[in-house]
Amino acid sequence: MVDDRDTLIARTPEQFRRKLDIEVQVEHEVIDIDVKSQRIAIRAHGIPNSWEPYDDLVIATGSAPIVPAWDGIAADGIFAVKTLLDGARIRHYIDAKKPRHAVVVGGGYIGLEMAENLRQVGLETTLIEQLPEVMASLDPDMGALVSQGLRELGVRLNLEQSVAGLEVSGGRIRAIHTDSGSLPCDLLILGLGVRPASELARHAGVALGVKDAIRVDPYLRTSIPSIWAVGDVAESTNLITGQPGYVALATVANKQGRIAGLNLSGASIPFAGVLGTAITRVGALEIARTGLNLTEAKAVQRDVVDMRIQSETKLGYFPDVAPITVKLVADRKSHQLLGGQIVGGSGSGKRIDTIAVAATARMTVHDLVDLDLAYAPPFSDVWDPVQVAARALSSKLMR
Amino acid sequence: MEKRLLIIGGDGAGMTAASQAKRRDPKRVVRAFEKGPVTSYSA
Repeated sequence: MVDDRDTLIARTPEQFRRKLDIEVQVEHEVIDIDVKSQRIAIRAHGIPNSWEPYDDLVIATGSAPIVPAWDGIAADGIFAVKTLLDGARIRHYIDAKKPRHAVVVGGGYIGLEMAENLRQVGLETTLIEQLPEVMASLDPDMGALVSQGLRELGVRLNLEQSVAGLEVSGGRIRAIHTDSGSLPCDLLILGLGVRPASELARHAGVALGVKDAIRVDPYLRTSIPSIWAVGDVAESTNLITGQPGYVALATVANKQGRIAGLNLSGASIPFAGVLGTAITRVGALEIARTGLNLTEAKAVQRDVVDMRIQSETKLGYFPDVAPITVKLVADRKSHQLLGGQIVGGSGSGKRIDTIAVAATARMTVHDLVDLDLAYAPPFSDVWDPVQVAARALSSKLMR
Repeated sequence: MEKRLLIIGGDGAGMTAASQAKRRDPKRVVRAFEKGPVTSYSA
């Protein structure tokens, strides 16, 4: 965790005003969009105070953490995590209330990061996940490696369990009941993912699409003239399937923001789409994914072949050599690379970018084998681990 | 009259759109509204 919250904030409102002449008003909530008269209603510090006219409007309301409707969900000691400020609130709660039994529900990026941090500050930590392994954006065989990494950090994993209810007394969370028992809990973290914060848009009549994200065309225009949508509130097209999808990732949000900003100033640039490329770290373990995994490929009826290999991040005589597991997924007929997953030690994760580039360029597995990638002993073996996997998959496809 | 661009949400996506639009068209009035206490952070 970074200690000083302010070091994480990229730009302040003062900087926007001074450097770019952009007026940013914080603690100003937009409560209504009047699409006919092209104006928005603002509530400042809780008080409705003005209508502002627009020629163009960008909706970038982001996402909100998913909060289930369990009885007692509003009790003290329960936190739905999404942003920076949530982390600060939890830290404050730990310092003030000294909880001992932390439970994290949900084994995705946020759940994993929270579980690791809670262990680091010395709390007994249990992670509850419905699926057989954590990290559902990976296939279960790769997720199992992550589950093992979490156990090694001292996180107790309750897999294939779902929450049945909460026990609250004196306004505070005391225990959590699951379909296979109860466990004491005085700090509950919800890492159940996010949903688009699209209520304002829906209310204004802007068309929604996948998972209630705002539907956008390739230029990031919504269904209503002069209104654009970008970031976690908007849909994004999957590069492999060509279908609209929903991912809430900062990389995508910033790219969409750039393109909408150019297009509403007269450019005409389509947003190419996304692979859902993502990376994280749990303890010393680096975890990354891009494109379609097996489960996703099967869901869109692709006939696919996969390959998983284990290799090392550099030559074996370096003291910091680490194991790396790479999995690739390809189309059985065209041999096109559809996606990849990586779990391994230091130096593993960013190798996903090679796979992301290959998938974007619609390379076949054989093209990936032939790529001229950098090699020297401190960095890689002669065959990069990604190419070790590509070679094995290439042979399998040509059999 | 200058064209007015309004942005709802002061995080990475909204502020990137604001900055790009302002750079390409400096005469445009650009205003962003954020319901929380901070803007664009790097998470």
